[in-house]
Amino acid sequence: MLSIKDLKAEIEGKKILNGLSLEVKAGEVHAIMGPNGAGKSTLSSVLAGRAEYEVTSGSVSYEGKNLLDMSPEDRAREGLFLAFQYPIEIPGVSTTNFLKTAVNEKRKYLGLDPMEATDFLKMMREKMDYVEMDKSLTSRSLNEGFSGGEKKRNEVFQMAMLEPKLCIMDETDSGLDIDALRLVSNGVNKLRNKDNAFLVITHYQRLLDYIVPDFVHVLYKGRIVKSGDKELAKELEVKGYDWIKQEVEANS
Amino acid sequence: MLIENIKTAFTQYKNQAEVSGFSVLREQAYQEFEKLGLPTTKNEEWKYTNLKVLANKDFESTCISSGNVKAFLQNALLNKITANKLVFVNGTFNLELSEIIEKDNSIFITNLAKARSLHAEIFNQHFGKYANIENNALNSLNTALLSDGAFIYVPTNKTVEFPIFIVNIADSSDVNVLNQPRNLIIVEKSASVHLIEMYYSLGSNSVFTNVVNEIYANENSHVEHYKIQQQEGESYHNNFTQIFQEANTNINHVTLTLDGTLVRNNLHFYLNGQNCNSLLYGLYMPHGNSLVDNHTRVDHAQPNCNSNELYKGIMMDKSVAVFNGKIMVHLDAQKTNAYQRNQNILLSDEATVNTKPQLEIFADDVKCTHGATIGQLDEEPMFYLRSRGIPEDVARKMLLNAFADDIAEKIKIPELVTLLEEEIEKKL
Ligand SMILES: Nc1ncnc2c1ncn2[C@@H]1O[C@H](COP(=O)(O)OP(=O)(O)OP(=O)(O)O)[C@@H](O)[C@H]1O
Ligand SMILES: [Mg+2]
Repeated sequence: MLSIKDLKAEIEGKKILNGLSLEVKAGEVHAIMGPNGAGKSTLSSVLAGRAEYEVTSGSVSYEGKNLLDMSPEDRAREGLFLAFQYPIEIPGVSTTNFLKTAVNEKRKYLGLDPMEATDFLKMMREKMDYVEMDKSLTSRSLNEGFSGGEKKRNEVFQMAMLEPKLCIMDETDSGLDIDALRLVSNGVNKLRNKDNAFLVITHYQRLLDYIVPDFVHVLYKGRIVKSGDKELAKELEVKGYDWIKQEVEANS
Repeated sequence: MLIENIKTAFTQYKNQAEVSGFSVLREQAYQEFEKLGLPTTKNEEWKYTNLKVLANKDFESTCISSGNVKAFLQNALLNKITANKLVFVNGTFNLELSEIIEKDNSIFITNLAKARSLHAEIFNQHFGKYANIENNALNSLNTALLSDGAFIYVPTNKTVEFPIFIVNIADSSDVNVLNQPRNLIIVEKSASVHLIEMYYSLGSNSVFTNVVNEIYANENSHVEHYKIQQQEGESYHNNFTQIFQEANTNINHVTLTLDGTLVRNNLHFYLNGQNCNSLLYGLYMPHGNSLVDNHTRVDHAQPNCNSNELYKGIMMDKSVAVFNGKIMVHLDAQKTNAYQRNQNILLSDEATVNTKPQLEIFADDVKCTHGATIGQLDEEPMFYLRSRGIPEDVARKMLLNAFADDIAEKIKIPELVTLLEEEIEKKL
């Protein structure tokens, strides 16, 4: 589904991704871990199409297409979704109106008619239950005045509404209380199927207790320096990153 | 030439027999205008707004309308709402298009020319008492050449049930027209009224509309006042509104400038009693080469009053906006709260905004803040929307609607909010 080869990216002349490669197949869940500033959010931004980041070399193919050539909206309508680490507030744009537009723009792109209002509302109600999102939140402006946890739930709720193929979750677990963490994870597990894939960026093993990954990668200094299965996450939880950093320094 | 046209028009009025007091006022006003002439950019208040283009054109003051105004108004906002309507075409009251549905006949909703004799006492008590002609060339011009306008009187404890539309249509089908609408609104103690001033144009020649509004709000009264500028084509528009507030009054004012070649709004509030609340909101969306100039002034003359002002601009093409917000806190006006913001979004590299707050504070225990921003549409929200599959142009409209929403939410007539949304849709 996703094939990243030797990806290098920089911002304002600062090199952040330094030859990153990753293969993701449909049905898989990949966890990406790594110390602060390693480049995890940069990777997700580049994949989602944030223009500030300049890709200087490498390639990203998504479902056989050159992802880097596509506009952010086309990437989204082709099924890519990024749950932001820091979802922003957009005053004056109602959550419902925003989602209706997003859902229908995607349908238009796929050659489908817009959804009937009643079907849309039904779908909203259903998907809100996934993450037990408070109904009153959808009548408010997008994320405006939402608590940290509510914003994160809203990201997963949007993900559920848009039914993406490739979900990138950037620290969706940070800021969630223990109950919310379980809820959001259950929501994600409900969305999981053989046709979609997840890139789960996290600092904590506990999320991976709920969303069990097929692969765990460590991103450090803009590259994936170690990959393993879910046991690697447990090892990191105990040992931290120093041993990996030392390995990397020793090899360079 | 405009100056000659004005002289001719004034001479015509002079030769007509008028209520004596009124012709004296006209004469005074004309003298003042002649002395001052049209404001030039040398005048600090008119630094960015050049009226020179008007000087070399020929305008007619008393021309009949040959366009099909009735058909023109068919789909206009005022025909979608249950409301009182006072319609003026080229400055003349049009009885056929007007409609007064207010049943209480102690409330006067009529035209000024009629009120001058019919309600002479009220008229004489208030007319010309709030809008200064001294040192104000355009107010003088309005007074010197005024033909008609709205006269509204709401007596103590009365509420006008439905909104009142004051509609001015400039029909330039045959010639360039010069209109001087003049409105006088008196809202007595504990009374309330909802006013909507609308400006339209039809025809392909030039239009110069020069308005003066005097609004007197007696104690405990409440006034909703919206001014909507939709004159298209070659239209030049100057509006001077003086709102005079006695104690415990609430005024909510919204100015929407949706069209026009050159639009200058002068909105002045005088807070003459304690516990007044004055809200000033504005939205402008100039395009092409047009210019919108909002000059506001709030005089806090008494303690314990609040004023809050927010003007927002969406700037397209090579348009120019001017915002000048003066807040005067007089010596006695302790415990004043006065807030002012002007925010602009530039959708084009060639658009210009000149913004200037002017705070003059003579009392010491006051809270005053002001702020102005000029910038492009934020990248972050744009990216967020696009990352959800919303194309750039749709996302831009959503964000501009959101930007305008701070003003739209102050408008208490849903149909007017819809009109605003349609205008935004149309413009972008
Ligand atoms: N806009 C920017 N301008 C300058 N430097 C940036 C910018 N964005 C990211 N960086 C830098 O790039 C590096 C990687 O940042 P990134 O946000 O990708 O890290 P991360 O792995 O997601 O970290 P965290 O775990 O703290 O979320 C950091 O050193 C950061 O300061
Ligand atoms: Mg990050």
